Amino acid sequence: MNPFNPTSLSRRSFLHQSAYGFGGLALSSLLREANAANPALGKPDHWKGVLKQAHYPVKAKRVIFLCMAGGPSQFETFDWKPDLKALHDKPFPESFTKGQQLAQLQGAELKARGAFTNFQKHGQSGIEISDLFPEIAKQADRLCVIRSMQTEQINHDTAHAFMNTGSIIKGRPSMGSWLQYGLGSETEDLPGFIVLTSAGKYGQQPISARQWSSGVLPSRFQGIQFQSKGDAVHYIGNPEGVCQSTQRQVVEEIQRLNGYLAEEQNDPEIATRIAQYEMAFKMQTSVPELTDFKDESQATLDLYGVKEPGDGSFASNCLLARRLAERGVRMIQLYHRAWDHHGQIEEGMKDGAATVDRPSAALIEDLAQRGLLEDTLILWGGEFGRTPMGQGSGRDHHILSFSVFMAGGGIKPGMTWGATDELGYRAVENVVSVHDLHATMLALLGIDHHRLTTKFQGLDVRLTGIAGKAVKEIMA
Amino acid sequence: MKAALTLSAGLSLSALTPGFTAEKISFNRDIRPIMSDTCFHCHGFDAKTREAGLRLDIREEAIKETEEGALPIVPGDPGKSEIIFRIFDESDPMPPEKAHKPFTPEQKELFRRWVEEGAVYEPHWAYAPLLRPELPAGKESLNPIDAFIREKLAQKKVSPSPEAAPQALARRLSLDLTGLPPHAHEFYKPEMATGDFIDALLASPHFGERFAVWWLDIARYADTVGFHGDQNQRIFPYRDYVIEAFNTNKRFDDFTREQLAGDLLPKPTPEQLTATGYNRLNMMTREGGAQPKEYLAKYGAERVRSVAAAWFGSTFGCAECHDHKFDPIKASDFYELQSFFADVKQWGVYSSYGYSPEPELEGFNNEFPFPPEIEVESPWLKKQHGQVRKSLDEHLAASLAKLAADPKTVAAQSAWEEKMRAYLGKNPDGGISPALVTHEIQKNGKPLPERKAVLDPSGTIQPDKALGKGESLSLTMDPAGLPALAAIKLQIDVSGIAPESLKARLGKSLSPTFSIRQPDGKIRKLPILTADATAKRPLYRGGAEVPGIQGEWRLPKTLPTDSPLHSIWIVDGPVALSTGEQVVISITGDNTLPLHIALSPFGSLDALKTGSEISSLMTIAADRNPDQIREVAELYFFSVAPDRPAWTKAHQLAGQIRELNEGRAWTLVTEAAPNPLTVRVLPRGNWQDETGPVVLPSTPSFLPGRIESTAEKRLTRLDLANWIVSDANPITARAVMNRLWAQFFGTGLSAVVDDLGSQGELPSHPELLDWLAFEFRESGWDMKRMIRLIVTSETYRQSSHLRPELKDLDPANRLLASQNPRRLDAEFVRDNALSIAGLLKLEDIGGPSVKPYQPAGYYEALQFPNRDYVADTDSRQWRRGVYTHWQRTFLHPMMANFDAPARDECAAARTMSNTPQQALTLLNDPAFVEAARVFAARLLNEKAKDDQARLALAFRLTVNREPKPKETEALTLFLTNQRESYKATPKDATKLLATGLAPKAELDPVEHAAWTQVARVLLNTHETITRY
Repeated sequence: MNPFNPTSLSRRSFLHQSAYGFGGLALSSLLREANAANPALGKPDHWKGVLKQAHYPVKAKRVIFLCMAGGPSQFETFDWKPDLKALHDKPFPESFTKGQQLAQLQGAELKARGAFTNFQKHGQSGIEISDLFPEIAKQADRLCVIRSMQTEQINHDTAHAFMNTGSIIKGRPSMGSWLQYGLGSETEDLPGFIVLTSAGKYGQQPISARQWSSGVLPSRFQGIQFQSKGDAVHYIGNPEGVCQSTQRQVVEEIQRLNGYLAEEQNDPEIATRIAQYEMAFKMQTSVPELTDFKDESQATLDLYGVKEPGDGSFASNCLLARRLAERGVRMIQLYHRAWDHHGQIEEGMKDGAATVDRPSAALIEDLAQRGLLEDTLILWGGEFGRTPMGQGSGRDHHILSFSVFMAGGGIKPGMTWGATDELGYRAVENVVSVHDLHATMLALLGIDHHRLTTKFQGLDVRLTGIAGKAVKEIMA
Repeated sequence: MKAALTLSAGLSLSALTPGFTAEKISFNRDIRPIMSDTCFHCHGFDAKTREAGLRLDIREEAIKETEEGALPIVPGDPGKSEIIFRIFDESDPMPPEKAHKPFTPEQKELFRRWVEEGAVYEPHWAYAPLLRPELPAGKESLNPIDAFIREKLAQKKVSPSPEAAPQALARRLSLDLTGLPPHAHEFYKPEMATGDFIDALLASPHFGERFAVWWLDIARYADTVGFHGDQNQRIFPYRDYVIEAFNTNKRFDDFTREQLAGDLLPKPTPEQLTATGYNRLNMMTREGGAQPKEYLAKYGAERVRSVAAAWFGSTFGCAECHDHKFDPIKASDFYELQSFFADVKQWGVYSSYGYSPEPELEGFNNEFPFPPEIEVESPWLKKQHGQVRKSLDEHLAASLAKLAADPKTVAAQSAWEEKMRAYLGKNPDGGISPALVTHEIQKNGKPLPERKAVLDPSGTIQPDKALGKGESLSLTMDPAGLPALAAIKLQIDVSGIAPESLKARLGKSLSPTFSIRQPDGKIRKLPILTADATAKRPLYRGGAEVPGIQGEWRLPKTLPTDSPLHSIWIVDGPVALSTGEQVVISITGDNTLPLHIALSPFGSLDALKTGSEISSLMTIAADRNPDQIREVAELYFFSVAPDRPAWTKAHQLAGQIRELNEGRAWTLVTEAAPNPLTVRVLPRGNWQDETGPVVLPSTPSFLPGRIESTAEKRLTRLDLANWIVSDANPITARAVMNRLWAQFFGTGLSAVVDDLGSQGELPSHPELLDWLAFEFRESGWDMKRMIRLIVTSETYRQSSHLRPELKDLDPANRLLASQNPRRLDAEFVRDNALSIAGLLKLEDIGGPSVKPYQPAGYYEALQFPNRDYVADTDSRQWRRGVYTHWQRTFLHPMMANFDAPARDECAAARTMSNTPQQALTLLNDPAFVEAARVFAARLLNEKAKDDQARLALAFRLTVNREPKPKETEALTLFLTNQRESYKATPKDATKLLATGLAPKAELDPVEHAAWTQVARVLLNTHETITRY
């Protein structure tokens, strides 16, 4: 065998052509054996999900969550409050705030802070969007803006946990893990749940790998974080001094020895291991191909505002998100850490908006042009909102009202849902809890949120805890 | 916590259930699991969700007529029983359709038969009193484990498997008992008796390292606090306590008491206090805006979940908000258990924020530790301290001997001594306080004429008022008469300051910089090598105190009682002073206390020792004894630095010694607060709702032998610990033995090891579990005894070849007709590879956590403070996995990829996944590539007649067996190809061999690279990472 023969790069063809294969035991039979040992698990290298059939019509096949980490202000994004602006710098009425939980503003004198920006109506739908987001505004007729979000957690760490897992108890699976567990993966070459991160100049807050943890679900469902430095995926690159063809030979030799082992040990894990080395080697090729943007046109790069492809910017990550969506990745989550504006909210919001506005809009536009928006659900929003009261030159954390938007994947386009009171302090109309949001997203993916569960410590654990109601009115 | 996929758990018991055989229905085995899953939600413990007034968990209730006049169960008469009617009623079935849990025909039939047989209830097995079961008749002479396992096998007409081959068994024992392959142990001889090998393994210090991994998951041990900024916490001595406890076979009852209540024991030892770190291993926060009360509620709730999981194998989590749906755990049980820990001193938010001032945490920033802590001795640090101390002594002796051997330096030293004697004649203190040429306040380097530097006749200097931003106290001195400058002393002079005024003025800080103004006006900076003070406020970085002073002297809030308040600044290389040169000192900071400044030509290793004894030492000119000769030579060495590299190295070693802190380390402990927090039942777990009743410590109401606090006597953590290990409590011994079993067979006797409640699983062998639990307690909670009992059983020693003929009867091998293969835990995947390579450092036990290679930028999303992971560059790089730095929010990728839990909460069971990430780790993680390189060198350095002999050796080291001919054949061909390949690209060979910090081998690069590839293959095989 010529080790440098490029045809040997195809794993399966090697197995069939190899002089000694697996000592007569072909991979397919190994896989069959693994299936027989655990029929519920399906082919070990291609998980099809525990849900044999959808509970509802499937409107969305994948989710892209653009997480504005830190909690952007709804008053400078999607919730226009003229009364609040009129009250700017005047005492905030106590009737609103009495007895409520505040974060850093505890015990402070509360003054109203009006939006520092203006809002215009956009598109045929006339959705009011802040002037900071001109590109997203152009997509208004594709958006469903929810202005009546509420959460239960007022600090970043626990609020992220709640937004991702529906619980603050550690070990609860993240939304992306649930989707993989329930629906399986559409790609054999890439992980089904991928996380990308970027950061802005102002208002950074830490995030945790816990947010994409599979928790009590098997760890194969955990989110895989793509790194902005070094290898995109940990350990995806060959060791120095090992070229792709020698790595190929090493993998083949491991497979061969594992095949010999399988001949005498009736252990289904061996077949799975063989399949995972197969997948790993595929990833070694598919990940570099994925992160190489050279087949993207300049027009596309400009649409997103990508300056340097693969530079770890939000723009580059949005383009990567589209490439992941094209390849069938189930859940793609982008964190942009830039929105915790306790102070300098004007500088912070302007900078954050300048960074995310164009790429966010470009992603919607690009997906639409490629016919992918109809079955890709986009969620844009933070882990909580911000107070209508000022905190120095900024705003504090706020859980009683905040805004997010969704687009694509079975969402009714060009509408708003819910409303806050006249000062934006509290969501008062069609309140949407985090559990409701999750239930709605699952419903669009064809899942009854009551029925995607796993047994843990005797409980049927689910993403929506013991609550949640899908918002039918925003589903197309 | 991780649970096995329910799918397999559902299949697992099929061999053990009766199906349609004639065997009598057992409530616990057959009915309770179905009821628990489908009925109890509406007809169970929780009165709030109970429907139709029907309760099925208690027999008396279930046979009573309901409000609607129906008879739910008529024992012996399914035809008259309403529940049987409804179960079979297709038009309106129970469970209702909306529950999506329809009964199968088999389940319906089970219920019918159970009612027909009299609807006999049984108490839940895990809560029933613990008695020693009889051994099966005729099997009394067997190891009791074998007696129970064989009994059930015989019932199913299945024969056990033969014993594993000796080499395979040795590998299994070694990996199971120490997490290391057999060849890691010097005492291992292939021909030795199994019993002797077991004894040696149990006595090995690596036994404790292996079982600590098990307990540390349960104790949720980690090096960081977990929430938000995930800052470092100091607690590795607790980890070492656990290792030591397993190694010394500490009784499990003592182990329990010490962790939960070591501080409440009479005259607690440092070890017992270290153990109480257990109570402090909950996640903590320092996030701005977090409310202390909210987080104390979170911490309290987590502690209940973790304690209940660790000692009861129970799931208390749901009872935080409401009575448990499936188990008789009430919300009051949850909060009563929590209130045992209400005295654990802790802050909800570890900072003093404006909205919630905490006087004890004043000044705390993100670099600060998480008190209460105590300082304890760490044997590992102590040894390091001794070793570096020795290196320093040797270095000094060698350096001085070198100087003494050189006539030139001897002459120079004599001249220096003479000069110094003259100097000391005028300046007996060793230092001089030169006259000030100028003294002024400057702003950004420019004089500020409206401000004044006040010079006191006594020679002290101070600013007229606290210096502002950019302002400095600038002094120029004429050091006439000072031959050289090696150290500077800044002393605070408090004489004449009224105590009240002093109190207000202490606790500030000052930062000096030093330079020399040459006669031509040019300025030469005087860098400082090291500085220290007789007293200072500590400076923390990453949660640990930085020794000495780093630029800023943070004055203490109170004066030291045993010495004046001064700091010494050692110049980085003593400088000779020429005529006309001036010393310039510029001081910033908010200190306003008067300063006395002295310059000294004498240097020393220990900054604070400079000065006083020097005079007397130097006055002895003749007839010095050897000690005095050495001391003077040393003084010369440090004051003049005649050998500058040696001088620098001495200071570096001294710096290491200071960091080793006399071999002592801080560790989080439990300190009992005098006033325990008030604990209430929180309705729906809402910490802001204060309407619930206040509760006092009491043991769970559903377990036997409950003890309760009274108005007069509040129970303590020690009472709880004593109750847990008392004969009254049946569940702890069961929970611990069930988890221990899983360590040796892959699955617990009750498969759901983290839930022994009714949603868990009836044990496959209930009598065996009870026998083990009873024996464990009766033997004096003797862990090693129980482990020995397991590993000496024939059941354990069976071959691990799963048997295809049993696939239908027993698909999950719960009957244990053979052993189960088991992938190694993350830590041991690493240890095994490094040990095979000969790279693992096994000499010492314990010590601060270590940092193996980690992909760059992995901590990028961590903040407060920003984190830069710096991998260890010395032998710590190759320590065991148990010592790996445990960052909760971003666990080391290798560990995470192999299913190590983040340890945010108690993790009683790890998942065993099999993923592409594992393949990528073993293939490409530099730690494993380096191991392959070193393993290859190890093979090449062995005497072997040919490649085949070397391959055979490689197989013995990796999987402790001889290779099969086809393996040898395949690898020989592979080796040949690799040789050819690297011969063609020798540069690639060099690159591959450059992986990792381990010393490079003196070998032919092509040959070494080719064998490295062979080693990579062997370290990647499924067999290598699996214990068969």
